[in-house]
Amino acid sequence: MNRGLKGLEEKVISQNLCAACGACLSLCPYLRSWKGRIVKLDNCNLEEGRCFAYCPRTEVDLDGVYQKIFGKGYEEIEMGPVRKMMMARAKDPQFTKKAQTGGVVSALFDFALKEGMIQSGILTPRDGELLPQGKIIKNRKEILSCAGSSYVSGPTLEALNRGPWKGKERIGIVGLPCQVLALVRMKASKLEKKTPFDRIDLVIGLFCTWALDYRPFTAFLKERVNNVLIKKLNITPPPERILEATAGNKLVRIPVDDIRPFIRPSCRICLDMTAELSDISVGTVEGKEGWNTVIVRTAMGENLLRRAKKAGIIETKSLPKDNLNHLIEASLLKKRRALDALKERGGIEKGYLTLSADLVKRIVSASGEAKP
Amino acid sequence: MSSIAENAPGKTVLLMGNEAIARGALEAGVKVCAAYPGNPSSEIIGTLAKVAGEMGLHVEWSVNEKVALEVAAAASFAGLRGLCAMKQNGLNVASDFLLNLNLTGTGGGLVLVVADDPSGVSSSNEEDSRIFAKLGDLPLLEPATFQEAKEMTKTAFEMSEQLGLPVLIRSVTRVSHARGNISLDELPKGGPQPRFDPSRPRISLPAVANHKILHEKLSRAKQRFEDSPFNFYRGPENPELMIITSGSGWMYSLESVINLNLQDRVGILKMGTTWPLPENFLLKHFKKTDRILFIEEVDPFLENNVKETYAQNCIALGLKSCFGKASKDVPETGELNPEIVTHSIQKLLSISYEPRPAGYAQRVHEAVSEFVPVRALGFCAGCPHRATYWAVKVALALDGRGGFVLGDIGCYSLGLGPSGFGQMKTLHAMGSGAGLACGFGQLGRFGLEQPVVAVCGDSTFYHAAMPALVNAYYNGANFLLLLLDNSATAMTGFQPHPGTGSTATGETAPVVGLKAVCEVFGARAEVVDPFDVSATVETILRLLQDEKGVKVLILKRECALVSAKKQKSLYKVEVDQGRCLGENCGCNRLCTRVFKCPGLMWDATAEKARIDEAICTGCGVCAEICPASAIQKEVA
Repeated sequence: MNRGLKGLEEKVISQNLCAACGACLSLCPYLRSWKGRIVKLDNCNLEEGRCFAYCPRTEVDLDGVYQKIFGKGYEEIEMGPVRKMMMARAKDPQFTKKAQTGGVVSALFDFALKEGMIQSGILTPRDGELLPQGKIIKNRKEILSCAGSSYVSGPTLEALNRGPWKGKERIGIVGLPCQVLALVRMKASKLEKKTPFDRIDLVIGLFCTWALDYRPFTAFLKERVNNVLIKKLNITPPPERILEATAGNKLVRIPVDDIRPFIRPSCRICLDMTAELSDISVGTVEGKEGWNTVIVRTAMGENLLRRAKKAGIIETKSLPKDNLNHLIEASLLKKRRALDALKERGGIEKGYLTLSADLVKRIVSASGEAKP
Repeated sequence: MSSIAENAPGKTVLLMGNEAIARGALEAGVKVCAAYPGNPSSEIIGTLAKVAGEMGLHVEWSVNEKVALEVAAAASFAGLRGLCAMKQNGLNVASDFLLNLNLTGTGGGLVLVVADDPSGVSSSNEEDSRIFAKLGDLPLLEPATFQEAKEMTKTAFEMSEQLGLPVLIRSVTRVSHARGNISLDELPKGGPQPRFDPSRPRISLPAVANHKILHEKLSRAKQRFEDSPFNFYRGPENPELMIITSGSGWMYSLESVINLNLQDRVGILKMGTTWPLPENFLLKHFKKTDRILFIEEVDPFLENNVKETYAQNCIALGLKSCFGKASKDVPETGELNPEIVTHSIQKLLSISYEPRPAGYAQRVHEAVSEFVPVRALGFCAGCPHRATYWAVKVALALDGRGGFVLGDIGCYSLGLGPSGFGQMKTLHAMGSGAGLACGFGQLGRFGLEQPVVAVCGDSTFYHAAMPALVNAYYNGANFLLLLLDNSATAMTGFQPHPGTGSTATGETAPVVGLKAVCEVFGARAEVVDPFDVSATVETILRLLQDEKGVKVLILKRECALVSAKKQKSLYKVEVDQGRCLGENCGCNRLCTRVFKCPGLMWDATAEKARIDEAICTGCGVCAEICPASAIQKEVA
């Protein structure tokens, strides 16, 4: 079994299972991304390579990965380790105005930079054509330019590999669950490190149920909005679920079901909705516009949140029980659907995960009720 | 080297076959010479171009073979002697004119030399041009020696004038490109005053009447060939086996018979006039034997025509056994050599003969392998085409819709192999890349989603791609045409063309600009330097996204070999082996394993790349592709 580019091509690229996280990019001249696709340019005949080792869709041993981050195995099957959970929103209207929901990610990031907890960050801005790309940012203005979402995944981690990084520079990063998983794989890899993973002090994970494939989705959108430049995209909460595209002065409303065909196949086999391997995970809160759900998972995350709250950067509220139950239910549903999708593709054991039969059983039979 | 313009009758000089043909034309008083270059014919006009001034000739590189033949025919119509030369593929291009010219007839002697390339060593095909002589009812001569190459050219001019027909000479690589002693004759002085006689129009109609006249001319040629000195027999009166051969087959046959020591058992009938065949001459020699072996290059042209003559007379001649390509006693394809001929004779006469000791080839290989570096057929170091194909490869991969490259004829045809990263997917005739693109470029309406890209060299563009570009614009074909402008007809020896600003004889000429021509034809044209790889990739990607009509990207960068003659290299290139990642993850020898410019070497001891200073031309492209910035370029 080849664990280099050849293996990556066989197991991931040719199977259309690439998550476009960017972990394999800017490591070598053989892989590049263009318009949301990772492209192999030439054959590399190495038996082992970092592209394969870092990929979140090759040979992931969930137990091993959780051990690496939390010092314990994949036990909290509902939505990963939780130290604290709450609702939060940024206080500075600069963040809330630009934000997709509560502006917590931008505010925390800005705070971490200001406090010197990190010296730079990797965020994912979109260009005028909605194409997301990883970018190294150093200040609030740049953070604000990255706020919002285009529901398209982009190769954020390429920016980490590419650098350049100087001296004792420490990095924070905001990523999707697949990107966060790739970061842990980088950390776990025994191959010669050229990835500056050790510089990363803060990982903020974003909730994600799926991401869209850039090219077909934007081609579809372009047609729907008559080629007018799109300023903002937003999906309204359930049960409505409408994609609102602000194109020029017009708001074009598209049922989410119409864009489902553009969901990346890679997302369908992903078990992680809440970015379980982050320091802090952030998402929306159903029915509470302008608020984020925040899950604190590590000591680092806890420290940041405490200091930010103390400094009056964010305000928090406890998360209502119903919302918590909903979240657990949704997270488990994603896991079960992913297991089903893996079974459909020839069995979980043939997929990218090593997951014991016992864990599978627990995921399938777990109840969506929050533990008291 | 002797000048072919030396007026020294009786002197013996060493000339290449093509030079001998040129000398023959000079001795025949040729005035107008035209050709489109093509191996192995290029040196004929190339040699004449060098002496055009002192000999008072007009010599030109025409844009294609058809125009070249028309230029030479015009001289003939005006009463001057004209020479046209081309390779076998060229005759396909010129054939439309040729197959009307046979009906209109000619005035001053008009000789068309076609040099065939058996095995297609430097051609896109393996083709026997002699078929055109039969197709067009035209006399055909085939030189077998260098002296004959010169003498036959003179005879061809004389016959052409007597018959009022163009006369074909068919050479092959081993006659055109080998050298031998030639005895010179006098060079004529002066010549007729050219005049086109309006009372003698050159019109092919009425076709039937002119066809009849053509056949009468051909039978006069046949009569004349009956006692041609170019046909002769050497061997015993009643050989066990008679070889009938022409062209380079004569030398191969002679060498084989001598080597096998069969002079008293095997005879050779050497034919120099192979269309129309001199029937009586053949019948006389048929009687000598009942076993005949045919030795000739490419197709069984002589073999089939001799068999036709035999069939016509078979009752009188009795049963004969014929061996050759038809019976598979001679390979049906590929170039012949003395070894092959020897093998055929051995087999037919059941003689055992070891041409060289067993294991000889292996020992030679071992002895030279230390000194001869292993190199695949590919682009030269610093060739702009390598950079172009690299950019094309990257752009098509990133685009990801399965775009493909339609190829054409030139150095860049090597784009089909490893040095062009296997990008080129079709190869046919001059201009066919753009022509095929005109067709592929219409298939979008049926659901073709792949981007269509055609490549074409500068010289090839003027030769045959311009009509395709006009067609593309007119019919709205959607494709990207990459014009690989290396400012030379590089493959055939750097002959100038309409874009280079000079003529065959070295005079300054107006430049026909590629971009201007494309724009006049309605195509949007941009120019990029292929050495700027990232800009080239970006431009190609951008143009691929534009799906409206024909786009032209001119990749302008002079041929590395032309540049090397004129200027020092652009950059001094070095490998910082400390930075080189070698076979490690992150590079895995991209420069020597994938990019493969011959200027780059793998230093097996250090396990790092290094520059071969003797070969590197300093283009600097490898510095751009190196992922570790280990290859460094500094302005030279």
